[in-house]
Amino acid sequence: MIEQLAVVTRWFSLALLIAATVLYAYQLLMKRETLAWWARFLAGAGTLMLTAGIGFRSTVSNGTELVGPHNTLVLSAWAVLVVYFIAEHFMKNRTYGAVLVPVAVLLLIVAQFLSGAQPSGLTAAALVQLDNWRVGIHVVLIVFANAGFFVAGAASLFYLILGGQLKRHKTGPLLDRLPSLAQAQMIARRAVVLAFPAYTAGMILGTIRAIETDVGGFWADPRVMLSGLVWALFGTYLFLLYGRGVSGRTASWIAIAGAGAVVALSILARTLPVGFHIFAL
Amino acid sequence: MHLTLVGLSHKTAPIEIREKLTFPANRQEDALALLTSTDDVVEAIILSTCNRTEIYAVTAADTDGPGAIIDFIADYHDLDRHELVRYLYIVEGDAVVKHLFRVVASLDSMVVGEAQILGQVKEAYEQGFEYQSTGRVFNKLFRQSFEVGKRVRTETAIGESAVSISYAAVELAKRVFETLEGRTVLVLGAGKMSELTAKHLCSNGVCKVLVANRTFARAEELAAKFEGTAIPYEKLYEYLGKADILISSTAATEYVVTKEAVAKAMRGRRGDPLFLIDIAVPRDIEPGVNEIDDAYLYDIDDLSGVVEANLDERMREAERAEAIISEEMAAFEAWLESMEVVPTIAAIRSKSEQIRQEELERALKRLGGLSEKELQTIEKLTQSIVNKMLHGPTNRLKGVAGERYGIGYIEAARYLYGLDSNPDGKNPHGGILRHLLRKKEKAADTKTEMGDTVV
Repeated sequence: MIEQLAVVTRWFSLALLIAATVLYAYQLLMKRETLAWWARFLAGAGTLMLTAGIGFRSTVSNGTELVGPHNTLVLSAWAVLVVYFIAEHFMKNRTYGAVLVPVAVLLLIVAQFLSGAQPSGLTAAALVQLDNWRVGIHVVLIVFANAGFFVAGAASLFYLILGGQLKRHKTGPLLDRLPSLAQAQMIARRAVVLAFPAYTAGMILGTIRAIETDVGGFWADPRVMLSGLVWALFGTYLFLLYGRGVSGRTASWIAIAGAGAVVALSILARTLPVGFHIFAL
Repeated sequence: MHLTLVGLSHKTAPIEIREKLTFPANRQEDALALLTSTDDVVEAIILSTCNRTEIYAVTAADTDGPGAIIDFIADYHDLDRHELVRYLYIVEGDAVVKHLFRVVASLDSMVVGEAQILGQVKEAYEQGFEYQSTGRVFNKLFRQSFEVGKRVRTETAIGESAVSISYAAVELAKRVFETLEGRTVLVLGAGKMSELTAKHLCSNGVCKVLVANRTFARAEELAAKFEGTAIPYEKLYEYLGKADILISSTAATEYVVTKEAVAKAMRGRRGDPLFLIDIAVPRDIEPGVNEIDDAYLYDIDDLSGVVEANLDERMREAERAEAIISEEMAAFEAWLESMEVVPTIAAIRSKSEQIRQEELERALKRLGGLSEKELQTIEKLTQSIVNKMLHGPTNRLKGVAGERYGIGYIEAARYLYGLDSNPDGKNPHGGILRHLLRKKEKAADTKTEMGDTVV
């Protein structure tokens, strides 16, 4: 019964989020504020449904499943939605919904296609090793940090687009709907400031667990190395911005590169089944 | 006498040319004196704003009025006449009236419906009046144009969707900063345009206003209006690093804010944007500033792009304004025709003759049985009385007609003899009186006013 509820709520959430995506796109193009309210309502309902779906699934499996592409993608979609709502609550700008809600929808659709897929190299022994609280926190931290980095990348992209338009003295109806330059910059900065410590903590916990379970040469794993690249990029972002007072444009390019590395890492995690770290993002 | 207009505007000339052809307020006296020093130009007014430089003139009928004005502009600014002509437009006759009314009604402005042009035309007229370069035609034409501006503003919604250069600047600032609350604006130059823009920014939440001006007292005066702080002009760059928005509108002829200085000020801002609004002509801020990361520079031409979205609505209202202009044009042309001395004297004589005839007829009816000789005597008596009564006024009217204030006498004569219907019952000299009173107020103001000139 609960398993059925989990499936139904997942599908409902996907339907609600697709409807929200359509409304966000429409209000972005047509400047209809009432539609924006409905878009937000549907996105909120979809997020609650998704939360419920994850909860039902966790109940059935006696704990949240963190392993496998389906589960990590669903969690990533959920994290993106939560980060979006936090940003929207503070920034009062719905433009991000027009980008981040469709991203969440895309992640959920891909997750549905990969619902039966399991990491090929995952052995029973590895599953036992993964059944640890540190791994759980590590995954949650990394998923939320990735969502934060992705939001920072999207905000930085907005920053560059809007900055470019303002530099070229061009205006247009779509430009009116974009967040302001300062707001885009603030979202990007805050997202990185919040995500970076989470990512660092996630990496430390993962490293501790790898050492505990005596995984030889874990640091040479391509995904661990890529995560190191992500960390280095966003670390550079923070250092240059707050330490050296680098320009917003330079900082934005670094954030976009970092977000690109997050996406690349996610894809590589599934397309390159090598190394020990084949079960996660 | 012939109405002539030679000018250039944002529609015909880029800012690089317009900034070369400005006539700042402090140089208008010389320019007007020079312009009207020849017999070709009888009356003249120079309208010099950020977006246009126009010379309105009443030229002698048998001269090449446009040629004389073009020569004057070329000589005054030391420019090549043939190069200059490419950017100029020439308007003559009734079309000048229409053009002026359209300018005052803000139909020819970069931002249709903006209210500043009316004040700028008034200032230009007051300068002309003060320096005695206006006469009977322009006194009437420009005063009527102000009425046109007022009518268009009150009878249409052309100014309701708030779009102006300063509003455009505020809108752009919001695109950069989302909200202006808590932002710091640095006003460079204490002119009216920068004051207006700063006022808009403050009404949108800007909390801190810094004012820099070459004349510190003027900076203090403007800063006081916004509860802001006047800063020494020499410390401009020091404060630039602390500002979010810079509004520049000085009368300087060279760049006041350079690329190098802005680049230096941007260091250590941690990517915080700096929005620079250059509403001065000639420009105050080096255009290369826009190439600096996080610095967004808009000059007067760039601001026009922002307001295009609201233009459609204003254009619809502009059609109604055109109808008002047509009405007013017809009224002015009728006045112009009537204000010739000969028609005025003819009208006075005609009216007097009509009265004489009517009174004579009435008297003869009462007298009855008069001989032919008696009739002729009475006829000649009445004619003689009328002629003698009109002789003095007629001669004096002819005498003052060519003088600068002749229009006042002609208007007074038409009013006293009741030649024109005057449904409003207004004293035709009320305008002159009001103008003179305003002039006194202005003279008192200028004694205390120091600082940069607004264009």
